[in-house]
Amino acid sequence: MSRIERFTYFERVVHWTLGLSFVYLLFTGLAFSHPRLFWITVLSGGGPTARLLHPWVGMLFSLSLGSTFFIWAKDMRLEGDDRAWLKAIRAYATRQKDGVPPAGKYNAGQKLFFWTMTALGVVHLASGIPIWMPAGVLGLGPFYGGTVNVMRLLHYATTLAGGLLLIVHVYLGTVAYPGTLGAMLHGHVSRGWARLHHPRWEKEQADL
Amino acid sequence: MAQLPGSSLAIKRMSASPDPDPSLSRGIRTEGPEFAKLIDISRCIGCKGCEVACKEWNELKVEPSRNFASFQSHPDLSSDTWLLMRFSEIEVDGDLQWLIKKDACLHCAEPGCLYACPAPGAIVQYENGIVDFNQDNCIGCQLCISGCPFDVPRFSAETKKVYKCNMCVDRVEVGLEPACVKTCPTNAISWGTKDDMVALAGQKVDRLKDRGFENATLYDPEGVGGTHMMYVVPHGDRLADYDLPEDPTAAPGALAALAGLKQLGMGMMGLGLIGTALHYLKYGPEVAEEEEQA
Repeated sequence: MSRIERFTYFERVVHWTLGLSFVYLLFTGLAFSHPRLFWITVLSGGGPTARLLHPWVGMLFSLSLGSTFFIWAKDMRLEGDDRAWLKAIRAYATRQKDGVPPAGKYNAGQKLFFWTMTALGVVHLASGIPIWMPAGVLGLGPFYGGTVNVMRLLHYATTLAGGLLLIVHVYLGTVAYPGTLGAMLHGHVSRGWARLHHPRWEKEQADL
Repeated sequence: MAQLPGSSLAIKRMSASPDPDPSLSRGIRTEGPEFAKLIDISRCIGCKGCEVACKEWNELKVEPSRNFASFQSHPDLSSDTWLLMRFSEIEVDGDLQWLIKKDACLHCAEPGCLYACPAPGAIVQYENGIVDFNQDNCIGCQLCISGCPFDVPRFSAETKKVYKCNMCVDRVEVGLEPACVKTCPTNAISWGTKDDMVALAGQKVDRLKDRGFENATLYDPEGVGGTHMMYVVPHGDRLADYDLPEDPTAAPGALAALAGLKQLGMGMMGLGLIGTALHYLKYGPEVAEEEEQA
């Protein structure tokens, strides 16, 4: 069976740094937001340790999100058929492939996912810092009071949006499309997989 | 002062605890009275004996201060200074006035700090009205500071916990008045049940009005459900000069919106999970031909 390389070693390292830090942040964040889930902090060494680690893992998350921007921004530019693809998103979701324009390396849904997550990440970082260091940082602040309260609202709202997108991302990347997870684990996909999901890209790729 | 009955430490509210809070069950509640401290600003002579008594009883570290051209002992509250007499010198009707505010926790009936706290049991409100920080459960996030409409709690960089006046809960529990009340040489601070203190405040306000302080008023703000430290304010029309917020609230807009969004939040996450599961059950995996052979 012929294989095509989809993600390089560096891309995979960055992706999993981003993904695992996201999951850590999501779960500790939910623990801080919902009293019934506070027990999750035990998995992170208890409340004070979780409070200490959450922002630092957030820094790791931001760093890897910034890296994905430099790796993928060029590939993620919306162009040509993307508008038609998005119009056909219902057909795509219900597996009526005939009405969906063939995708290149990334389909328009993946591109929008990338840009939405990047934008949410920026808001997330910006709103997280005042909550992290309410006494002020780098000559800014103090943020105690109204600023922190508004930032908490933003931080939670972006978590909610990002969390929902993550659920869809994990679903599509694992059980919905077998073969996709492998692309992010060992870096390769089968030619059949490429032909099915990314036909325009498949044509450009030589066998390994 | 007559000996007061011991007051109830039955827990009324607890931070970050799902409602209905099990500790709210009627069985363990005593229905005991709420207590309150009443500060008659017109009787304060600015001696700061209360500050010393507070440090002494609560065994708080003495902090070096500096001269900043004020009669105030310290520039601000701190994790080791739970009580600070704030002095503001202003002109009222051509006369220099010394407006003094006893800056410490007001022990709100609707505590903004408690509502903002994400750590279960780090902030509790007892049936007697005292709002107490339990540092054992504090995670050091400092959200209580932003939740407080009076800017009272202070973070200790050393212990990574937040501290504030606990109304000498260990004295109140056994029927004693808080240390500041005990030490005040002019009886500017009174202590008793909330009802008695509101009644006493009425008399004090009337007396001030007779003396010509026509704007004298009781500061017991409704936006936080009333407080368990109240002030008799001689110049009730100049609250800002006393550094007292006009209309404090326990749930400012952003936090009220956040609480609402949280109600939706878990539901939306749940629907997201259910939605993908239903999608899988309906459409199953989309397998490439070569993938199947592999």
